[in-house]
Amino acid sequence: MDIFYDAATKVKCESILNWKKSGKPVVGYTCSYAPPEIFHAAGILPVRLRGIETDGTDIADAYFGPFICSFPKCILQLAGKGMFDFLDGAVITPGCDSMRRIDECWRKAGEDHDGIVPPFFYYFDVPHKSEAHGMRWFKNELKLMIKAIETHFDVKITHKGILAAIKKFNIGRRMLKEIETMRWAKDVVVSGTDVFTATIAGAVMPRDEYNQHLKQWLSGLRRRKKSLSKNKIRLMLAGSASDEINLIRLLEENTGAIVVAENICFGIRAEGNEIDEKGNPIDNLAKHYMDQSVCPRMYGKYKERLTSIKERIDRARVDGVVMQNIRFCDLHGAENSLYERDLEAAGIPCLKLEREYGPRADSGRMKLRINAFLERIDAKSNQKSTEPLSVSA
Amino acid sequence: MRPEIKEYNYDRILGQTLSAAARFPAGSDKETELTYRYIPYFKGVLKPLIDTGVPGKIFLELLALYYENILTAHARGKKICGTTFCYSPAILYAMDIVPATFEILTALGGMVWKRGMFDYMDFCCEVGMPETSCSSQRGFLGAFLAGLCEEVDFLVCDSPGVCDTNANAYAFSSAYLNKPFYQLNYPSSIGDERSQKYHVDDYKEMIRFMEEQSGNRLDYDRLAEILKEVDLQDHLTADLEDLLMLVPSPLPPLYNLMIYAGRFCFSGQKIYTRVLEAMLKWAKNRAKTGLSGLRSGDEKLRIFTCYIDHYTVNLNFWNYLEDRNFGHLGCILSRNFRDDNKYVKNLPGSAYGIDLSTKDAMLDSMAQLNARMPMVRTIRGPYDKPGMWLDESLELVRFFQADCVIYNGTPGCRNTWGMVKPFARDMEKNGYPTHIMNDDAFDDRVESWEATKERLDEFFQVRGLL
Repeated sequence: MDIFYDAATKVKCESILNWKKSGKPVVGYTCSYAPPEIFHAAGILPVRLRGIETDGTDIADAYFGPFICSFPKCILQLAGKGMFDFLDGAVITPGCDSMRRIDECWRKAGEDHDGIVPPFFYYFDVPHKSEAHGMRWFKNELKLMIKAIETHFDVKITHKGILAAIKKFNIGRRMLKEIETMRWAKDVVVSGTDVFTATIAGAVMPRDEYNQHLKQWLSGLRRRKKSLSKNKIRLMLAGSASDEINLIRLLEENTGAIVVAENICFGIRAEGNEIDEKGNPIDNLAKHYMDQSVCPRMYGKYKERLTSIKERIDRARVDGVVMQNIRFCDLHGAENSLYERDLEAAGIPCLKLEREYGPRADSGRMKLRINAFLERIDAKSNQKSTEPLSVSA
Repeated sequence: MRPEIKEYNYDRILGQTLSAAARFPAGSDKETELTYRYIPYFKGVLKPLIDTGVPGKIFLELLALYYENILTAHARGKKICGTTFCYSPAILYAMDIVPATFEILTALGGMVWKRGMFDYMDFCCEVGMPETSCSSQRGFLGAFLAGLCEEVDFLVCDSPGVCDTNANAYAFSSAYLNKPFYQLNYPSSIGDERSQKYHVDDYKEMIRFMEEQSGNRLDYDRLAEILKEVDLQDHLTADLEDLLMLVPSPLPPLYNLMIYAGRFCFSGQKIYTRVLEAMLKWAKNRAKTGLSGLRSGDEKLRIFTCYIDHYTVNLNFWNYLEDRNFGHLGCILSRNFRDDNKYVKNLPGSAYGIDLSTKDAMLDSMAQLNARMPMVRTIRGPYDKPGMWLDESLELVRFFQADCVIYNGTPGCRNTWGMVKPFARDMEKNGYPTHIMNDDAFDDRVESWEATKERLDEFFQVRGLL
């Protein structure tokens, strides 16, 4: 678990530094719609770009305007501070309007801060729809990106290589799926903080190394007997992208709660699903990354997402959903409200929180609200247990 | 929402107001002047329009008709489509569908009412829209979500890929009220073969959706008629823009608003052509005098608003331009990017043409036109890529000989706030003093007009522009 913790909490984690020592390239990417399998197939370490370890946004604020989500600002801040100096490339995706503008802001910051823009700087244009023409566009984008990587890094990315990468990533996905299944049990043997930490680590560690450590950790989990969920309120964390394990920790710091599921960008949500290992790998990648519509950036798919989140709530026996959105994240802000309306109507208590991204930002205020929410759920369950049974005439 | 606001439908009240406004100038000038006494709150917006002469009067008729169309649509057996300003309504008219454009309906309420659209905007937040979402939709959207307007039958927008907050407003409405929804998606590039094809593929899907929702088949004869009218309107606009190049410009600042608001409401419809023709006639005559189109005839400064204008009560921004003798060279909303416009020559791939030769050619024309509507053309990709916001703005400021650049938007405009600082820096590097307004174009509560005005004055003074 230590290596996962290191990877999840440090921008320059040991795994990345070791990889760099071998002389092999590292490429950062900003969005879960960019397939890391492609980089892996090129012998490049794909690293999901994150905003941890920031202590302010003074550099980012010089480029981004004031009404922008703090997550991309923190990423730009790190870039400006030279914390991403291990990157040989960066892939920017129009995941949302705030994230997409990292493209210009990073490049422009590079005019003021020498050497902060990686030599390979690529804009990966992911469409907002998965219908036939959207799929075609996405597949073409994948092909164009492959070509760009091949040209820049002087490598060859073959279908065979991508299929092998898919297989390797699927090994990790299967293990994560098993861990997810463990959290569905009445007696949960692993904390949400640990699972989230392990999942985030997967977004930055070399896949071979990750799979190996995940395997070891999983075998330990299989042997665990002690329930961590007894008499605890089972929570799901949903909403804006978050890679902050402290956010989950904040929920679990309260001894009466355990996080048994996430529905966020960095969580198991998409990582638990396997990609087809046979056939055309571009088609398979496109199907996996575009067809899931898990993010509100895929407009008009709310009903599908509601169905999916309800299934996950049922499976993980969730007692309440904590939905957070980073300020200025309108997509999750609006969708959280819809979830709140529909899930509450289905009897699932929900808490909506607006917050800033960053180390323990707002933690006092959030803790107060989380505690009140847990009390609400607790009172509800007590009420249920003391309600007299209805007797039919 | 305050209970009294819930007593009346938004579109009914404003429709009645605009209907009365359209009849207002029917009397003699003396009668009109006397009647202003009885409308102290509406005078601020009505008088500047009426003062523009015949164009303003026809424009008032156009606005009244827009509301009347919405209010009578269902009685006439027509469907209402909730849509956005950057979506050309020409296709809706071709399919006998009535457009209800959220931003137009927000802006008009905001300009006419002292209370603005605040109650409706706040209602959106009451039901779950984030307060950080764009106010341009939230005004009318509040009335829509509260059921205080004619029932919108389905929704179409074209902002995914360009503006999250815009697309999100329609997606939220669709989910909240369970309304059918189609969203045209634009890639970050334009003009290349792949993007052009994507525009058409998506547009064809949208036509199928609208046929299903409206029960009307697309009538290509009717589309041809409408495209012919669009063609005429494009050329009239180009003529007006030719005049805008003159120093001083013979166009009153309000003409820019009328050019784009008319297009968003009635593209391809005769009434908009009448407005354009009247404006052109007036501006040509004015040009002969050598005077500016400003009331004073004196143009002290030429301002290019690189994004949108300001639409709060009493046309404050527009009256400010008149008071200060500042010429208005248009904004991102004013330009149509027709292929024979002079300013598109240095912006390859930025323009569309109109081809009526076949059904496919007409659909292709509409798809490419729509892809070049304001905002969805300009800020779809990185701002400093060829043909995007920076290139376009630089081309336009040179073309129209601007003295300075003003950015105005809303705090909800995530896309431009994500890049406006480097954009402004690049404009400055190219020699154009650029001011970023920190207000909300539709909501004076974010920054009072008085504060906005002071900041504008400060900018012009500090930069030595006067």
